[in-house]
Amino acid sequence: MSLVGLDWGYPWLLLFLPLALLPWVNHNLDKTVAWVHLVPVDPLSNVINIGLKLLASIAIASLILALASPSLPEQKQERIGEGAEIVLLLDRSRSMDDPFAVKTQAASVSVGGKNSKRNVAREYLTEFVRNRPDDRFGFVFFSTKAINLLPLTYDKEAVLATINANALGKGLSDTNMAEALLSSAKMFEGQPYRGSRIVLLVSDGGQILSDEAKENIANLYKNMNLSIYWIYLKSRQEMTLEESDNDNLLWVDIPERKLHKFFKTIGVPYRAFEAGSLKSFAEALAEIDRQHYETLIVEETLPHQPKADLFLWLALIAMLILASSHLYTLWGVKKAHE
Amino acid sequence: MRVSYQKRILFTAISMLIAFTLIAAALWFPLVPRDVDITDSIFVLDITDSMNVKDVEIDGEQVTRLEWAKQFTKETILAMPCGSHAGLAIFSESRSLILINPVDVCTTYHDLTQMLEQINPHMAWARSSEVSKATYTAIKQAKKIQPVPSIVLMTDGHESPPLNPKLFPKFAGTPGQVHGVLVGIGGDELLPIPKTNPEGDLDGFWGVNEVMQKDVYASMRGDLQEYYENKPRTEHLSSQKKSHLATLAARVGFAFLSSPDDPNELVDVIKSESEPIVQTVDYDLYAWFSGIALVLILLVFLPYSLFSRKRNPSSVHD
Repeated sequence: MSLVGLDWGYPWLLLFLPLALLPWVNHNLDKTVAWVHLVPVDPLSNVINIGLKLLASIAIASLILALASPSLPEQKQERIGEGAEIVLLLDRSRSMDDPFAVKTQAASVSVGGKNSKRNVAREYLTEFVRNRPDDRFGFVFFSTKAINLLPLTYDKEAVLATINANALGKGLSDTNMAEALLSSAKMFEGQPYRGSRIVLLVSDGGQILSDEAKENIANLYKNMNLSIYWIYLKSRQEMTLEESDNDNLLWVDIPERKLHKFFKTIGVPYRAFEAGSLKSFAEALAEIDRQHYETLIVEETLPHQPKADLFLWLALIAMLILASSHLYTLWGVKKAHE
Repeated sequence: MRVSYQKRILFTAISMLIAFTLIAAALWFPLVPRDVDITDSIFVLDITDSMNVKDVEIDGEQVTRLEWAKQFTKETILAMPCGSHAGLAIFSESRSLILINPVDVCTTYHDLTQMLEQINPHMAWARSSEVSKATYTAIKQAKKIQPVPSIVLMTDGHESPPLNPKLFPKFAGTPGQVHGVLVGIGGDELLPIPKTNPEGDLDGFWGVNEVMQKDVYASMRGDLQEYYENKPRTEHLSSQKKSHLATLAARVGFAFLSSPDDPNELVDVIKSESEPIVQTVDYDLYAWFSGIALVLILLVFLPYSLFSRKRNPSSVHD
């Protein structure tokens, strides 16, 4: 519950606050005298009397307030950081279970092993996210439908747990690249422009996009000022996105080359990283690291700050004076009776 | 009983001194390590078509089973003690797909609930609903996560295509090795199931002839014909399949909780079902110290005179 700008862990304890009035109705320390008029009128003593009652009230109230567990609510704080906003678009198709960048056809038979493309992607994305403390990450679930599963967040634990979950189990049969690309862009909708915006596609294959989809994607990415990075996880080491003279006939016309060509024509910053081996994958990520250190405003959430100590201090000071005054009274009374 | 003035002064001074010391202790006493039982769990939400049946209530309003499951998951996560971890998964077709591995329910609460909001029938990648197999795959995947989380499967138990009661899908694991709870959702009445098209949008209801009325095995055997002739054709309708869920739970060594009202109830079942992980947290004793200090101060100022005045009418106060 929030009250006077503070969150209270046990707000019901505040109901006991009227107990702070007890010192004002209290006569426990009154001394019985034969006749009141025998006691001389002493203005200083009256002031001290009121002061002591006030201190007792403060002590009681402070303790009750401290017990009600006050804390400053979470606060958002903006600071200048270096980083980017990155939407991770991880292919969840079945082919991602195949081994990563093998040299021979025979080696590509083992499915879902330790070196599956999905596992490789997980290991390196984990490393990447860890190395970029100032970046904000989002995650798109990418199957027959694309769902913006994890909206942009600074919480690294959430991002890493999502990346790790993605490596579990087998892939799904269908993926819809066009929708995933459109959906990723929507992640930035309604967000203030903070700095570089990247859609990081991690995929092992392309898809032939319809002309309509191409137009939509091109428009959206241009309007929203997005960069595209594609980490291409090839199945065979010698596959390339760029055409070359000694191409294997098998991959002259593969969809990934068409997608690569399309990305180049959109007119937004685009880079493809052909992660041929674990080493080049690491280099690809390091390259993104180097390129995208632009300053941007980073929003940080400061966690709850307990404020009970503040009230304890108040109670402590009040009690210091009260306790000393009572000890002094005790000493005085003892002396008088001697 | 009337305490002498001198004694009253003495007691007051001592109480004040102790109270002062206690408040100082509340401020400076070091944190004490304390063990707290926490649990890791993965909430698996059934997102198949039958979960779109509106036969459950949130605050008196009729909502779909999936909406209820999402709301209840959210409340359960909120009811878990900090330090507990929760993950999210969905199930469609015959498998569970983990969306996020277990994360701290307090520090990641915002992102967890954001993700929970995103879960919807559109995410289903096929239009069948094989609850038992999905439970098995959830168990299989949970084993790969360290520490192994408990599974909380939110489902109505509707199997489509139907199962042959004698040919239950085989469970390859050891029952009880992975802990979990099946949470049954939905009413007792058989209701039509909204149909989703391949895009995941609602599009009418499943018709009686559009779904398999008998299981694959039976449909290929003549000798069971008689049995099925007497069986009502109701597979296009759905209610909470309590007995099926109880059987399934027994098979995999899970608990079964049908339509719980209170999230704390589910948290308790998860706790009693799973082996809680003991986590040491630093515990601040300030509440104890300041509480006792408060009581001491209040004892000094309680209006005892209200009780004693009658007995001693001669005492005069200035």
